[in-house]
Amino acid sequence: MTFIDLNFYFFSALLLAAALGVIASKNPVHSALWLVLSFFSCAALWLLLEAEFLGIVLVLVYVGAVMVLFLFVVMMLDINIEEMRKGFVRYLPIGALVALILAAQMIWVVGPIGPDILDDESLKQAVRHGADYSNTKELGRVLYTEYVLPFEIASIILLVAIVAAISLTLRRRKNTKYQTPSKQIQVKRDDRLRIVKMDAEAKE
Amino acid sequence: MLENYLPVLIFMAVGLIVGFVLLTMGGFMLAPHKPDEAKNSPFECGFEAFEDSRMKFDVRYYLVAILFIIFDLEIAFLVPWAIVLEDIGLFGVLSMGIFLGVLVIGFIYEWKKGALEWE
Repeated sequence: MTFIDLNFYFFSALLLAAALGVIASKNPVHSALWLVLSFFSCAALWLLLEAEFLGIVLVLVYVGAVMVLFLFVVMMLDINIEEMRKGFVRYLPIGALVALILAAQMIWVVGPIGPDILDDESLKQAVRHGADYSNTKELGRVLYTEYVLPFEIASIILLVAIVAAISLTLRRRKNTKYQTPSKQIQVKRDDRLRIVKMDAEAKE
Repeated sequence: MLENYLPVLIFMAVGLIVGFVLLTMGGFMLAPHKPDEAKNSPFECGFEAFEDSRMKFDVRYYLVAILFIIFDLEIAFLVPWAIVLEDIGLFGVLSMGIFLGVLVIGFIYEWKKGALEWE
């Protein structure tokens, strides 16, 4: 077993343990922290596959942005933990069914009965590259030229996400009062002030 | 390529060891550990806590968060593009131009819609 294999087994074990921690811990904050650890070990596994850009993006986007936002919400939101644990028995059959289907799919792909994708020569063993090899460069070379259509589709998907997020969550409050400085500055004397001519009151 | 990441691995290992050693030394071995009821109670400037720290969130917080993540992803797409810009030439510039153009449409939409204003 080489040093790389040792790292692979270490980070895989860490990933499995962290994933178990996500679903097993009672406190949602602990679950979120376990999820951060599992993202980290997953990024380490991707690095071992020489997908350095993807690994670092996983840390940057998921750990840096998504999980921190998650954690903020989970910490501050009023979640009644007792209330959440009530439905366990009710949802157990559905959860077990989904888990069974997932396990069957994985066994079908990897195991002995399914299609022989693992015998495919191109999937057997990744070629190890030297110190000056840049995976990011290789990715960039094909992503913007050969795979330009999926790349543009990604932008469309992000656009759809923007529109969907806005239309789902944007609520205008009717009763908020706020200032418009430009209108305040542009106001003329005549808009505000009215001089009323009156006769002087005579003394009785 | 992996040898470039050996320092990162060593850094992680050292960080883990330092964290473990300091916490076990400080928390369990060296420090006196005599908890009592007053020490374990929540402290808020001397009086009892008024309310739970958990509360309802304005949904607009999620909106800002989601929009941030979307543009974060856009930046992530820019990094490999910037590295190989000399190799992919005008075609790469144009494809990134379309990509950014589509997202700028989304940006204008959210700006005009007022999603970035907090009121």
